[in-house]
Amino acid sequence: MSETIQPDVTVDSRGATCPGPLMDLIGKVKKVDAGTVIELQTTDSSSSHDVPEWVNKAGHEMLDIVEHEDEGFWSVFIETTK
Amino acid sequence: MTGYAIVLESARLERLQAVGNIAAIAAASEIPVDVFATMGGLEAFDKERIETMDYEVGEVGQAMMEVEGMEMPMFYESIAQAKELGPLNVYACELSMDIMGKTLDDYHDVFDDVLGVSGFLTHAQDKQVIFV
Repeated sequence: MSETIQPDVTVDSRGATCPGPLMDLIGKVKKVDAGTVIELQTTDSSSSHDVPEWVNKAGHEMLDIVEHEDEGFWSVFIETTK
Repeated sequence: MTGYAIVLESARLERLQAVGNIAAIAAASEIPVDVFATMGGLEAFDKERIETMDYEVGEVGQAMMEVEGMEMPMFYESIAQAKELGPLNVYACELSMDIMGKTLDDYHDVFDDVLGVSGFLTHAQDKQVIFV
């Protein structure tokens, strides 16, 4: 299940507002190889919607979004395809 | 059309932030963006103004500056970050700079070059022009 996804890389963008989390993610995506699983941590609810939009448009794979309600952030898991 | 040419005239914080966000995400997504900062839009990048945060601010801009516990990148920071990630060029309007008696050194270092209107139109000819 979603909790079992083990990311290769974690990007901690908690506390940053749009477009910070997405910019952090794109910066990381450009540096890693295809097939890398990235976890983006964000406290920004708009990013939790906007990031999947970008991931799909950019042709990477959306794996899951996990909301950590108690801690007030989302983990967005993606896998790079290029 | 291959990308956007944004003419940034406004010195209003909300507009600057919106331009910073859209230009940054577009460029980071490999969509070419040219920003031509002119008049009030150029002065928004003045180092002293950045230091003093001396901007026209509306209701949303005020809330942006007062929000606690959130780290909000300023427009020039988003642009600077995006320049590392994708095709984003930022040009300063020569006329505005001359009128103010300034050089590029007076502004944040996001600028690639100084351009006149003809120069910018050449850069913009294959792009969708957005005026802010």
